[in-house]
Amino acid sequence: MNYLQKQFDALLKYWPNEDQALRDVRLKSFDQFKTLGFPTKKWEEWQFTDFSAIEKTNYRLSWASDLPQIPDQIPGQIEDCHTVFIINGHYQPPLSDIPDGVTVVTGLDHFRSNPELYAINGSKNPFLALNTSMMNSGVHVLIKPNTLIEKPIQLIYFTTEFSDPLMNHPRFVFHIGKNAQANIIEHYLGVSTLSYFVNSVTQVILDENARLFHVRIQEEAATGSHTASTHYEVKSNAQLNVTSITSGTQLFRHDIQLNLQGKGAEAILNGLSLTDNSQHQDQHVVVNHENDACQSHQLFKYILADKSSGVFNGKVVVHKHTKQTDANQSNKNLLLSSTALMNANPQLEIYSEDVKCAHGSTTGQIDPEELFYLRSRGIDLKKASELIIGGFAKDILDSIKNENVKSYLNNKITNWLESVLNDG
Amino acid sequence: MLKIKNLYAGIDGKEILKGINLTIHPGELHAIMGRNGSGKSTLANVITGRDNYEVMKGSILFNNIDLLGMSPEDRALSGIFMSFQYPVVIPGVNNTYFLRAALNAKLKHQGMKEINAADFLRLIREKLKLIQMDEKYLNRGVNDGFSGGEKKHNEILQMLTLEPALSILDETDSGLDIDALKIIANGVNNFRNNDRSFLAITHYPRLLEYMKPDFIHVLIDGEFVKSGDASLAFELEEKGYSWLEA
Repeated sequence: MNYLQKQFDALLKYWPNEDQALRDVRLKSFDQFKTLGFPTKKWEEWQFTDFSAIEKTNYRLSWASDLPQIPDQIPGQIEDCHTVFIINGHYQPPLSDIPDGVTVVTGLDHFRSNPELYAINGSKNPFLALNTSMMNSGVHVLIKPNTLIEKPIQLIYFTTEFSDPLMNHPRFVFHIGKNAQANIIEHYLGVSTLSYFVNSVTQVILDENARLFHVRIQEEAATGSHTASTHYEVKSNAQLNVTSITSGTQLFRHDIQLNLQGKGAEAILNGLSLTDNSQHQDQHVVVNHENDACQSHQLFKYILADKSSGVFNGKVVVHKHTKQTDANQSNKNLLLSSTALMNANPQLEIYSEDVKCAHGSTTGQIDPEELFYLRSRGIDLKKASELIIGGFAKDILDSIKNENVKSYLNNKITNWLESVLNDG
Repeated sequence: MLKIKNLYAGIDGKEILKGINLTIHPGELHAIMGRNGSGKSTLANVITGRDNYEVMKGSILFNNIDLLGMSPEDRALSGIFMSFQYPVVIPGVNNTYFLRAALNAKLKHQGMKEINAADFLRLIREKLKLIQMDEKYLNRGVNDGFSGGEKKHNEILQMLTLEPALSILDETDSGLDIDALKIIANGVNNFRNNDRSFLAITHYPRLLEYMKPDFIHVLIDGEFVKSGDASLAFELEEKGYSWLEA
């Protein structure tokens, strides 16, 4: 905690002329963070994850002077995208390609005109409070109303090799205007061999009749810790399609909150977690059905190798007096070793009569019958396992329409599998 | 080609096969008939090397190579194929991709060049025609959403593609209507030649009307109680199995 106080003071000093309203939000949020403290095993929603490594490591904020020489080849770039680069927390306008109909500004600039968006009310998530107090990075992306952006916009959040442990608290806002349509890839990557910490908050707003494909890729280095909150607000008749693939870090915690606010709002929420060694990934999802005729379809899968562990906690809440709700939630987990561990807890809270709901969770190992079938055709054990595990992961990518994005993720899954199966 | 000597085998410590002797020469089709639980599928599973089955005594030689102790994939690569009684559904694994991976494993084993996607598609279309199977089944997951009959077609498609020396047909007739049975039997008959051998396992003599066996063996309680030529099938149809039971 000590290091955070020091860093917070340094941040206030670094921006002495900062907008007073922003300063007030920072101070209030830091107080809130101090009151909450780091989660402990006694907190029900946090009990399966140990945050002591983040608490103990002496991270420092990344300053403008920490912008490295820009590497020639920044990894992770997907073909034929509008790319926005953020390196060690610093947005790089000259490198970035922003199409017509889209504005990208830093979060701090955006705050001035939209302070209410950044206030957090009664949150019990200390990482959200910490982000709001220290937000030092990130951008606001606005897709103007009635605009169709064909090519995906890829935001690459890249952490380079560094000489001491860095941390960043990026704040993203993706605002999709009325009748607009876009494809945004929020992509976290790191190559640092030293411990680092990314604590991000992303707010996504879909105005009436908007359509967004949001792909979130977390492939931080194994030395990284990544905590994140993503909040979606979906207005009437808007359609949200999310695919979240996460394979990096030693420690990952992601809180997703999806609010279907307008009548006829729809969301598909797909997630794939790939864990190996002693990695730990913890995802909490809350879907709120707040209006009539809304649909939500969730599918979260985990593939866990070696001594890794996963947590999935999913809750669907159907609010009072809502009609014609269609909600389903499915969680499926594949354990590749006897030492991998999964903790799954799907929940439904229904306060309305007119609902169609389904939920379920399964955890198991590769089916020996499937393995035998493939092997009896001359396919060796390793290739057979690869086919079956790849097949298990496949439907997560089904709702991605863009072929370049799909092929990037397919390659990623194949490479991950190869490395895991070669270890074993 | 296949030589089984004094085979005792079972599962979970329970002895199911009790002293099986069977020799299959190249070009022969042998049928094994018997009731449920007589050990027919156990024999098929022991030959193909399914986990959990244990051999207590005896030997299985395939082209003079000892099969026991070999992995299922090595048995397959040496030329053994089984059409499953209950083919497994593997969602997410594309049927064409799977078939090509299997063929390429075989080609690689034989020191031959792997087949590319375009050539494979040409090849598989030829095979589909032989058993009147629709091309749409190629692009689904393996057996995913297939009816019982379609799964059996998919098994025979694999046999025709991989061209094994010994094909074990485990209850291939079950789940097939009479028209489908004729098509499948026709596919198998056209595939028969002097080098290829077959072991057909069935409850019902009907299959053998369309797929003429050279030998029939009746299996009761883990033992062959009677062997004979194709005419034995008609005898069984008339009298059932009870006259053979001790």
